[in-house]
Amino acid sequence: MTTGQNLRIGPFEVFCPVAPAIERSPQIGGQNFPGKLFVVEGIDGSGKSTQLSLLHKWLESKGYGVVFSTWNSSPLVKDTTKLGKKKKMLTPATFSLIHATDFADRIERSILPLLKAGAVVLCDRYIYTAFARDVARGMDSQWVRELYGFAMKPTVAFYFRVPLETAIGRLVTARDGFKFYEAGLDIGLSDDRTESFRLFQGRILAEYEKMIPEFHLTVIDATLPVEVQQAQVRQIAKTHLDRAKELRVKP
Amino acid sequence: MRKTYGKILPGMNLSELSGKLIVLEGTDGAGRTTQINLLKTWLEERGHAVLDTGMTRSALAGEGIRRAKEGNNLGRVTQSLFYATDFIDRLENEIVPALRAGFIVLTDRYIYSLMARAVVRGMDAAWIRSIYKVALVPDAVIYLRINIDQLIPRVIFSRGFDYWESGMDVFPGQDMYENFRSYQASLLTEFERLSMEYHFETVDASPDVKRVFADLQRKVLRIVESDRRTDYLSGRSEQAANPLEKLTETWTARSWELKVKDFDTLLRTAAAHAASLNGNGHRVA
Repeated sequence: MTTGQNLRIGPFEVFCPVAPAIERSPQIGGQNFPGKLFVVEGIDGSGKSTQLSLLHKWLESKGYGVVFSTWNSSPLVKDTTKLGKKKKMLTPATFSLIHATDFADRIERSILPLLKAGAVVLCDRYIYTAFARDVARGMDSQWVRELYGFAMKPTVAFYFRVPLETAIGRLVTARDGFKFYEAGLDIGLSDDRTESFRLFQGRILAEYEKMIPEFHLTVIDATLPVEVQQAQVRQIAKTHLDRAKELRVKP
Repeated sequence: MRKTYGKILPGMNLSELSGKLIVLEGTDGAGRTTQINLLKTWLEERGHAVLDTGMTRSALAGEGIRRAKEGNNLGRVTQSLFYATDFIDRLENEIVPALRAGFIVLTDRYIYSLMARAVVRGMDAAWIRSIYKVALVPDAVIYLRINIDQLIPRVIFSRGFDYWESGMDVFPGQDMYENFRSYQASLLTEFERLSMEYHFETVDASPDVKRVFADLQRKVLRIVESDRRTDYLSGRSEQAANPLEKLTETWTARSWELKVKDFDTLLRTAAAHAASLNGNGHRVA
């Protein structure tokens, strides 16, 4: 009959017909490319986008071929994501999958070819955002990590670490409200939008903390002045670029 | 109790899914859609509630996939994940609710086709399987087996060669016939492998529609009749004097599958039954 085994997960007994632990899914295109991939991560309000944009300007001024890629922007997929969010159709699983689809399209059509060509690619959010959000929504952490098994490891993943209250303080003054999924209202933590946002971001923050050692994230103290953080970011980026002069597109 | 292939989605309760999940698998042109339509009508005539579903029919991603396939820039990882999104949306919003309501769910393709397509496109077999660990294990997977030479005339004389069904995104060159052959042959090889791994029940899809349908009816009947609800539906106890007596009977018949007494289900069954009886305790059509 069937080869396989029964596994207990929480209160359920489930049947697993294949070996349960997959060590590692292979990455498309492998890891050997001449380009450099810098990604920024952190909760909303951590200031990561500001830092990335400053890094972008600096790299351009130095003559590097730099390309910027933002989360959730694939032209093939974004209409579906928009539909799901607008009509509140997304469950934790489909939220996870549609973002993985979007990310895959950006990897396949843009990020991977650029890295192969030797460009410097800057990503505002990367797979760690998905890991943090999806697990905060109740997805299995191993499942989400396997889902993104096709992603390549970044040259440096900067994590902008900031206390929850500091981030929320920055956002409350900058915006006039949080969106449904952004505030995690889909998982019913609280009926109050701001309170739900606070609880949800707290969960996300906890996931990021777990990922620092797991993925060797480079931690930047995001409570420091913008200029100080940027100096640290440039310093770290520089050590990786010094060995890659061929990336320069301008004299 | 229903099982998954190793992982459970958040919020999914596997203990009340009393319906039957029947999968029809097979390559493009094997006759799945025709047979599902026949099965649906036949099962409904027998008094079963039937839901039929299939690829790209999700409210969330169906339209997005169709649009993405119109262009020539849908990559293989993106494609695999877009289909996974479509599948999970239907699993959560169609298949599971229907099974909970006691429906027979007939699905035109399931995770196996999606795995076969991904692997033929060079994706890692372990990777694609890891995604579908959250899928429900069906009550049966019926595989409509056909060989490549039987397949070709069917495709030529019905809809012609399609870009994706000919694997034009996988194989080099512009020869649709050659590519169709290579692509479908690779899919068939992959299906044979999956057939062993997931214990497909095979039906020879090369005879005419009627013969294939007769084979399918036999297989489906066995699955449907493994459920005692059939006794109830086939009218063996139409003379039940009153709803309460009927209720007791239903309870006894179903208690084997409801290890934990589920009063909600019981009450719903009772209410539905009471509604179906006239004043004399006879079933009304």
